[in-house]
Amino acid sequence: MSDATRLLLVDDEEGIRKVLGLSLADRGFTVHMAENAEQALALFRELAPTIVITDIKMPGMDGLELLRTIKAEADGSADCGGRDVEVILITGHGDIDLAIQGIKLDATDFVTKPISDDALDIALGRARERLSMRRAIREHTRELERLVEQKTRELLAAERLAAVGQTVAGLSHAIKNLASGLEGSIFLLGKGLELDRRAYLEQGWEMLQANVEKIKNLSLEMLRYARPEALKPAPCDPALPARQVAELLALKAKAAGVELCLAPAPDLPLANIDADALHRALMNLVGNALDACQTAGFGPDAPGGRVDLSVSSLPGGGVRYSVSDNGCGLDEEAKARLFTAFFSTKGEGGSGLGLMTTKKIVEEHGGSIAVTSEINAGTTFSIVIPG
Amino acid sequence: MKAGEARGRVLVVDDEMHLRLYIAAVFETAGYEVRMARDGEEGFRKATEWKPDLVSLDLMMPNEGGLKLFQRLKADAVLGQAGVLVVSAIGGDTFRHSLKLVQSGSRSGDGGRLPDVDGYVEKPPSPEALLREAERILEGRSATAPAG
Repeated sequence: MSDATRLLLVDDEEGIRKVLGLSLADRGFTVHMAENAEQALALFRELAPTIVITDIKMPGMDGLELLRTIKAEADGSADCGGRDVEVILITGHGDIDLAIQGIKLDATDFVTKPISDDALDIALGRARERLSMRRAIREHTRELERLVEQKTRELLAAERLAAVGQTVAGLSHAIKNLASGLEGSIFLLGKGLELDRRAYLEQGWEMLQANVEKIKNLSLEMLRYARPEALKPAPCDPALPARQVAELLALKAKAAGVELCLAPAPDLPLANIDADALHRALMNLVGNALDACQTAGFGPDAPGGRVDLSVSSLPGGGVRYSVSDNGCGLDEEAKARLFTAFFSTKGEGGSGLGLMTTKKIVEEHGGSIAVTSEINAGTTFSIVIPG
Repeated sequence: MKAGEARGRVLVVDDEMHLRLYIAAVFETAGYEVRMARDGEEGFRKATEWKPDLVSLDLMMPNEGGLKLFQRLKADAVLGQAGVLVVSAIGGDTFRHSLKLVQSGSRSGDGGRLPDVDGYVEKPPSPEALLREAERILEGRSATAPAG
């Protein structure tokens, strides 16, 4: 044993204390002695011995009660660093019932008076073994926890790096496209002036406007995404953002020749949501759905395109929003990359930020977003906000 | 330069309208005769009708349109004579690498191994780079092409 182990010996008979104390000190323990349980408890609290040897039968508090109290206190402090204590009972002849009660109370062992050296050694050996086993387990646990924490941190860092890498790659691609457009406009305007060709001037001018608009939109959306947007949830009718979005996009849908249907949801219970944020999320989804119908070929002269928007309350008090279209659908690759920055299926038309922002809003509500889609058949997005 | 005495015929195939107009203007103002096409299908039709000397092609158009057009052009005895200048947002080395991958894949059903592209310009394409590559490709053609 490394440091001299602190041992507390408790017995009301001075003779036993003296003889046993010497014998224990001879084995290398630092021995403290108490003549009753009350004194023992005070010393236990002060010195925190790792082994307590106590007589069972003592005037006042007996050995079993001392055992129970000590174990309770050691367990109580186990959470904050842990405190191991082994208690060995000293029993008189014929006190086997008491000894068994003691073992049930998690005593290490018992030795019977008169105490033989062999019996004492066996009991002390068991105490040491239990102490070192518990220490080893605790160290293993700590090591495991440290390892898990470290690995988790590494994983998170790797994920974040990967996300940053993806974002930067996507961003540089977007900027490259913009630069390409601007270079084209400059060339056309230059040639238009040089050759006095109005067609080039008009094309260049239109191209310049379109690209400046694109830069403006991209930076606005990036700002919106980068700004940590604190939600302001308040109890409100969960159908409100859906109704607003349906109204706002009614004209756009009509122009696109697509039927936009809001399923009526009367008297939904109030939900604690940020209606403005969910409004933006639903705008994104319904806007995408309209685009998908147009891509599928539906239009003013080709009716049949349809987008369904619905709101319902969930049994546990949550809300579900669903946006379905019968548009072009998504392939597997698109489904997998749907929520990453700068991924867009719309070519020039999309910033690749809309769905990422939508997902962020939903997750900040503690909710989840799911997609099912079949190519050339349609797509359904469902948002679930827990109650 | 009078019509008919143009430096050569260039077909510009790109799905992005702005880029298409721009590249077309670059060649037009440099004295080439230019036509435009929005996708692989239209590109092949116009190439068949008009027989360009050079096709400026965005390989990464949706639905593999660019790659398919490239294969169809090269598989055709007449149209295969046209030089193909690839304009792509993918960096040169990465582009050549992925082209090699496509080439090494079994493509026998589509008319055998893909030949290499004749020229390459990375997006955003500068007017100088476009014209330099076009000139290089066309010079190479006229040097090897049978007289007449």
